Amino acid sequence: MAEFVSRREFLNLLAATGGTAAALKAGAALGLLPGGVAAAALDLVNPGTAGRRVAILGSGISGLTAAYELGKAGYDCTVLEASHRAGGRIFTVRHGDLIDEIGNRQYCEFEDEPHMYFNAGAARIPSTHRNLLHYCKELGVELEVFVGENNNAYLQDDSLLDGKPIRSNDYKTNVRGFLAEMLAKSMSSEEIDQPFTETEAEQLLGMLREFGDLSEGDLYRGSLRTGYASGGFLTHGVQKDMLAFRDLLTGRVGRNALAGFEGDYGPMLMQPTGGMDKIIAGYTRVLGNRMNYRAMVTAVQITEDGVDVAYDQDGVRHTLQADYCFNCIPTHLMVGIEHNFPADYVKAMKYVQRGRAYKAAFQARERFWEKDDIYGGISWMNNRSAQIWYPFHGIHKARGVVLGAYDYGGGMNHTEMNQAERIESHLQDGEKIHPNYRNLVEKPITIAWHRMNHMLGCSARWSRNFRTGWTHDEEALYRTLQAPVNGRHYFIGDQISMHSAWQESAIMSAQWALANLDERVRAKSA
Amino acid sequence: MKSCRLLIITLGLLLSGLGIAAESERQAYDDRYCTTCHGTDGKGNEGVQAPRLAGMEQWYLERQLNNFRAGLRGVHPQDIEGIAMRDMATQLSDDSIADIIAWVASWKYVAAEETIEGNANAGRQLYATCATCHGNDGEGNAALGAPALAGQNDWYLVTQLKNFKAGYRGNLPEDGYGQQMRLMAQTLVDEQRILNVVSYINTLTGDR
Ligand SMILES: Cc1cc2nc3c(=O)[nH]c(=O)nc-3n(C[C@H](O)[C@H](O)[C@H](O)COP(=O)(O)OP(=O)(O)OC[C@H]3O[C@@H](n4cnc5c(N)ncnc54)[C@H](O)[C@@H]3O)c2cc1C
Ligand code: HEC
Ligand code: HEC
Repeated sequence: MAEFVSRREFLNLLAATGGTAAALKAGAALGLLPGGVAAAALDLVNPGTAGRRVAILGSGISGLTAAYELGKAGYDCTVLEASHRAGGRIFTVRHGDLIDEIGNRQYCEFEDEPHMYFNAGAARIPSTHRNLLHYCKELGVELEVFVGENNNAYLQDDSLLDGKPIRSNDYKTNVRGFLAEMLAKSMSSEEIDQPFTETEAEQLLGMLREFGDLSEGDLYRGSLRTGYASGGFLTHGVQKDMLAFRDLLTGRVGRNALAGFEGDYGPMLMQPTGGMDKIIAGYTRVLGNRMNYRAMVTAVQITEDGVDVAYDQDGVRHTLQADYCFNCIPTHLMVGIEHNFPADYVKAMKYVQRGRAYKAAFQARERFWEKDDIYGGISWMNNRSAQIWYPFHGIHKARGVVLGAYDYGGGMNHTEMNQAERIESHLQDGEKIHPNYRNLVEKPITIAWHRMNHMLGCSARWSRNFRTGWTHDEEALYRTLQAPVNGRHYFIGDQISMHSAWQESAIMSAQWALANLDERVRAKSA
Repeated sequence: MKSCRLLIITLGLLLSGLGIAAESERQAYDDRYCTTCHGTDGKGNEGVQAPRLAGMEQWYLERQLNNFRAGLRGVHPQDIEGIAMRDMATQLSDDSIADIIAWVASWKYVAAEETIEGNANAGRQLYATCATCHGNDGEGNAALGAPALAGQNDWYLVTQLKNFKAGYRGNLPEDGYGQQMRLMAQTLVDEQRILNVVSYINTLTGDR
């Protein structure tokens, strides 16, 4: 039997709790923690007639946020976007859309119905992402609840239960039961008991019994929480057999059921009704003819009192003179664009790496998951396709778009395959959960972000080491890139965030830059 | 999205094989993706590890595009950058290769900036062998099939020498030119020698 947590560790835990609570309170009072931060209400001052021309490079959500806020304050903005569409990594794929992947262009052939889409980039909005939610509200973007965690979705791992898919519910309930039983048993040992008062120990036991659904004698004997094996409504329900704990230890995939829906990924999540790009449409509706598409920036020169931008559109090179420039072009692409940035800035630009996210989706000929009691949510697989997302929009309609793979950065696996190989890989992986999968899905779309034109990657990665976190050098590089050059050029985007890979990151980077500019404009006019 | 809906394809590369009714409704595109990776006017982009194309000899450019397309280059699983380029090349038709060669020719040659540190003096001696094929001034030699090296991104030259040595490039029997070069790369026995010879190449002007 494994060693139990020692008394010393328990004491540490208790002590630490007091400390943390105190720290939390202090932090919140200083406005350092999310609890203390309201959605930033920017109130930019009108710049007057001189110094109001702004070039926005890239129509990522950070660029659009900057253009939107500056426009409200009376600045004259021009947005230059290299792609045929706005939004960058916010990309909803539906009927007729071009997927501009370098080396693998595709057109989407899903049925032309409002619910027949998938979000190929950003897909979920955590309820704590206040600034994003603030813009959704202000732009009139209708939101609905996003279903991520679903107890009826599956876990599949070749090394778990001989590869037989198991409902998330069965896995979680049994694991909790066994863990609770083990802890409850150990409560009788004096070692563990000691740091608690008698009342506390009793409370803890109560908590464990609830947590694990323990039976009499603090034993786990299976639980009705997993649903019935048979019966249940007109006849007595028959409880499912409990699983052997030992069998649940193998395979890593189950851990996703325990940890995959926490933090930013936990409920309550939302999505815009009809696709994430409704947010982008909200911005571009306001920005109107300030948007320029297929306008690829080719040079950025910072001058004494402004920024000169060159861009190619319709085979012609144009120039744009601006007083300020907000730039969300991914830094690794910006390295190859003409510029006169200072050396330390360039060093920082070269340092940032990019995540390697990949998604694929199919049109399902029928909503087969609904017949299997699944109405949305995510199944996890220990294979390269990694996840299957069942749509919760369009419930009970004839068809739906099912996400057949979400490989969020484990490598270049699918990216380096051709289209046919990618699809075959997802069919083989999905078949392990849904036996007839191959015949139930059609019209595949794959999106390898590392090959998407004008993007070549996913989230910005500053830290080379996930475990040890940011080094001081990395933090210094980051601060260098966050600071404006000559007060004229700002990098924005999730690349200028310490918590990248979210729309909120990109928006907050823009807000930081806007506030910084505003401060200087106010100081000048004062 | 505004005027781009029916944008006329500048290259006249019409896409066969799509055969779908709504074709006229679709976003048009061409194969001129090169600058996304290779930088403004093909000046090279270290951020993507894609080298300078501006000023490249047409015969060499064409051969490399064909090599990538035919699977003579960019196929080794460790050749991450080559694979990225191959994914692009497999999409190109003969017509679009012709168009692209003309397009690349419109870019002005600008020597790449230096980024590596090595001993150029030591490199000079090592380069004596190389000069036979690549020219005293790194200007290249079309008759021998050896490209210009002067002015190319130094980080890229380093990668190529390592790739030749490791057999990621120049390892296939059908790739005669690559095989020749692979032999030559073996003479640079360690990384320092590679840095030295490339530092020396950084001093060459290619007769321009
Ligand atoms: C697979 C995936 C899943 C995600 N999931 C979520 C999620 O669930 N929730 C969430 O909130 N966020 C999610 N994100 C993250 C979120 O999408 C990004 O953080 C955010 O959209 C980044 O915005 P940005 O402003 O940094 O610009 P980007 O989206 O990076 O846009 C940059 C823009 O610059 C343009 N550009 C490039 N080169 C040029 C040039 N030379 N000239 C002009 N324009 C150019 C590009 O075309 C692009 O439009 C996800 C991202 C991905 C890829
Ligand atoms: C997805 C990014 C990407 C795109 C798009 C791209 N390339 Fe490349 N290309 C690369 C990379 C990376 C390399 C370096 C390969 C290596 O290190 O072996 C490369 C190498 C090359 C080489 C070899 C250079 C040499 O000196 O041998 C040529 C030629 C080339 N590319 C031409 C083109 C042309 C022409 C286009 C446009 C049709 C293009 N590339 C588009 C990424 C790209
Ligand atoms: C026998 C002739 C020959 C000699 C000698 C030679 N090379 Fe090459 N080299 C070539 C050929 C041919 C190619 C083109 C290979 C191809 O087409 O893929 C080449 C390609 C290269 C490349 C890749 C260029 C690019 O743009 O991708 C580099 C770098 C290079 N040589 C460096 C050297 C160095 C350094 C030496 C001396 C140590 C050397 N070569 C000696 C024939 C030679």
